Amino acid sequence: MSDVIICRCEGVCLNQITEAIDQGASSVPGIKKRVRVGMGYCQGRVCQPVVRQILESELKEDSKTKPPLQRAQSPVRPVLLGDILKE
Amino acid sequence: MSYKVIVVGGGLIGSSTAYYLAKFGAEVTLVDAKDIASGTSGACDRAIMLQSKKPGPTLDLAIQSASVYETLEEELEADLEYNKAGGMIVIETEEELKAMEEMVERQQKAGIGVRLISGEEARERQPALSKNIIASTWWDQDAECNPLHVSFAYANAARRLGAELKLRSPVTGFLREKDRIVGVQLNNEKVYADAVVLAMGVWTPLLLEQLDIELPITPRRGQILVTEQLDKVMHGNVLSAAYIANKLRRNQGKQAEDPYGIGLAIGQTHSGQLLIGGSRQFAGYETDTDPEVTRKIAEVAVRAFPMLANVRIIRTFTGLRPYTPDGMPVLGPVPGMEGIFVAAGHEGDGIALAPISGKVMANVACGEDPGIDIRPFSMDRFQEPVTPKGK
Repeated sequence: MSDVIICRCEGVCLNQITEAIDQGASSVPGIKKRVRVGMGYCQGRVCQPVVRQILESELKEDSKTKPPLQRAQSPVRPVLLGDILKE
Repeated sequence: MSYKVIVVGGGLIGSSTAYYLAKFGAEVTLVDAKDIASGTSGACDRAIMLQSKKPGPTLDLAIQSASVYETLEEELEADLEYNKAGGMIVIETEEELKAMEEMVERQQKAGIGVRLISGEEARERQPALSKNIIASTWWDQDAECNPLHVSFAYANAARRLGAELKLRSPVTGFLREKDRIVGVQLNNEKVYADAVVLAMGVWTPLLLEQLDIELPITPRRGQILVTEQLDKVMHGNVLSAAYIANKLRRNQGKQAEDPYGIGLAIGQTHSGQLLIGGSRQFAGYETDTDPEVTRKIAEVAVRAFPMLANVRIIRTFTGLRPYTPDGMPVLGPVPGMEGIFVAAGHEGDGIALAPISGKVMANVACGEDPGIDIRPFSMDRFQEPVTPKGK
């Protein structure tokens, strides 16, 4: 189970995510900065809900406060630099 | 009883300071309002370039810092993606060439082996470079690293040496006895110490306000574009002469003349993504990305590297660089108070200067001689009367 891949774009497994949380990560961006979850092609659109669930179950003690999410960073989908210049 | 120090701020500078303090045997508490590398250190590029530094005390400091980096991976037992791949500053116009000739001369005097090379030689080193580049600087000793890895590695190494990390712990106030700071107030806890080091970058002045102390550090927003993963196309870090001009320009209050401060800074990460910057704007603590800035960065990037027109960006982000009026960081005691120190205001030099800043501050906070003259970085340099400029 611990070697289940959670983030396919960057090939990040469940155990890397729980390790990041053990190290002190308390938010989706905190996990991302430690193990590259959501840094790849899909920008966390696929894995972020799962990462958040893992985070919530690991950080039981303060379940009242939802851990911060990674906010969307433009562009919404990958775009060629050449196309940006045509606009 | 051992000497107790609180380091406030878990970015590159704070994590580094905490590590060297722990190494010296101090009892260290590293606190951050959010997390390690959650601010500027998690929203920057990866260059450890000496040739981009202002000749003078900052460059001297950067030279010492660069030598620490050479063995830092072994010391911290971590992969920092450190790579001494060299660096260049590309030149598009005769005017830029003239300015860079002067800069190179001053750098050489300071002991940096940087030299000017022709456009052809630049394209041999960097084949993707445009034919419009007329010349470039080149220094094989410039390096790069992953600032996230450096921050986490310093924090983890400090923890292994006994430092305590308190994350998600905003400092809400100081514990004070007359003119001496004796600790900090966290949410539900008072932490006492012999010394407090503030390494909170752009957020440092906000906390110092509580002591009615003014520190002229201003957030300067920089935007960076991230591309999809590519095969190796970038050999070392590349800046443009325009980037250097913008970096050294002290234009706070005159932003209307150049609202975006666009200059090219490009490097490739180990994963293959390119980080393409950047901009320099005074926009308070606002961190939204701006599509117009993205377009302007794309323009300079494609002009220097035409092949980038066919490369996709997958995200953009901004970071707040701590700007100071003279472009030098603040390292040292807070004037008029005991037991409190500042290590902040590195603007774009935080990565390059993190190791040496941490070493210096660990010494200073313990009352030891840091081994270098830190007077040029003292906080009281801002208290001298400012000569009125121009208008």
